[in-house]
Amino acid sequence: MDNKIKRSVSLYSYQQEYYEGKLDLEGCIRETAKTGATGIELLAEQMVDDFPVITPEFKETWFGWMKKYGTEPTCYDAFLENRIYDNRVCTLREQIHMMKRDIENASQLGFQTLRTLVSTPMDVIEGSIPFAEEKNIKICIEVHSPFSLNSGWADGYMEMIHKTGTKHFGFMPDFGIFCRQIPDILTAQAVRNGCREEVIKIVEDAFQERVSKGFMKIKYDLNLGRAHGEYMKANGYPKLMEALDKIHATPAELAYAGSTFDYTWCDPKDIIDNIQYIYHTHAKFYHMNEAYEETSIPIKEVVEAYKKAGYNGYLSSEYEGNRMLNDALEVDSIEQVRRQQEALRRAIEE
Amino acid sequence: MFPKQMFHPHGFKNIEEDGRITGFCFEMKIQYYRGITLSILRNIEVVVDGAEYPRESIRFTVNGETFTLDEMRTVISNRWLFGQYGTVTVLTEGGLTPGSHHITCTQTIAPSYMPHILVHAGEYDFEL
Repeated sequence: MDNKIKRSVSLYSYQQEYYEGKLDLEGCIRETAKTGATGIELLAEQMVDDFPVITPEFKETWFGWMKKYGTEPTCYDAFLENRIYDNRVCTLREQIHMMKRDIENASQLGFQTLRTLVSTPMDVIEGSIPFAEEKNIKICIEVHSPFSLNSGWADGYMEMIHKTGTKHFGFMPDFGIFCRQIPDILTAQAVRNGCREEVIKIVEDAFQERVSKGFMKIKYDLNLGRAHGEYMKANGYPKLMEALDKIHATPAELAYAGSTFDYTWCDPKDIIDNIQYIYHTHAKFYHMNEAYEETSIPIKEVVEAYKKAGYNGYLSSEYEGNRMLNDALEVDSIEQVRRQQEALRRAIEE
Repeated sequence: MFPKQMFHPHGFKNIEEDGRITGFCFEMKIQYYRGITLSILRNIEVVVDGAEYPRESIRFTVNGETFTLDEMRTVISNRWLFGQYGTVTVLTEGGLTPGSHHITCTQTIAPSYMPHILVHAGEYDFEL
């Protein structure tokens, strides 16, 4: 099948090796190139020492690496540190200034899209769009589980897109919204923390019930805590807690049960419905087994939706299994990313 | 987030000033996945062998600057990088006795985008 889907790696994927000093920034780019991916996604706040400044020296080195490894910058992951002072929230002017700074950084380093988070206020995004247009950077709000497309939450942004008519703001889905199972290594970690088999079963059953019934979607609400609370309630969290209470669940068991609400299953058809507003994608994953399968996310089925929709952007690997292992086990992000890239390649090309 | 990789294995030391031991220090990395300005690092708690040290006795040093925990609230131009060691100093007369110790250090980090703050502890056994 002829399609133009491209593969990228978010260097976030290599955070364990970077943290331990086993890979530096160039090493992460080199490992990405080895997988056959051509795109580089970067969290400047994670791996650029001079952030928020992009020095001329760094810029030169950066483009040198892109040339050397045959890669191109894809997405710049921004954080809006609007509570940088602990006694107040930054004003609208300060927040727009911060967004523009990141758009400028992204532009300096040749990125095409800029990831913003669900916590970024709508008026900050709107106020930054003219600058994004000037710099030809597409601001993408991350559709990160438990948020989802085709939801009251997404409608809020869709209204803004229609109102402004902008082509420089859209969505970037994160594959964490396509979890049909709880990641197996999350459950294994829960077992290490002493969770009983009966608890694991109750939690798994509740998750499968949510998958088969369909998740109740989150609404648009600037108060994220409230929106999240309502989401938990609507998806059976109180009922699950009641069941666990009866068997005197430990704090570790309750924490495991709660954490499974971070994973959701959305119909991949959501991608097709919204494709004209999707400019980048986080191919989030937790565990690739030796058969090149993600143990919770059906990669082939999700990629199929992107193919059907005629997507021509990047699918960017985002490995997040390290934190489910590094309390007790070795992490091999390089091998995990290699496997997922191979699975993505097969799904795209075959 | 990185509970096993947080401490520098050879970073534990007593601090001597004018022939007197005035405290001890150790090196640690951030329990988070990106660098932050020190204003986002809202607390550091240190417990050694079950004894907790008062907040006022703690200093944090990174990139050549040292702050108390209260002073850090206004520090927006010094970033503790992801994977970088910062030094925690605990001012306590006599420091730690030579021999084996167990430390628990808890970092409180408040990333702006999260509806809740992060409180992550790391533990380590060390010899002095």
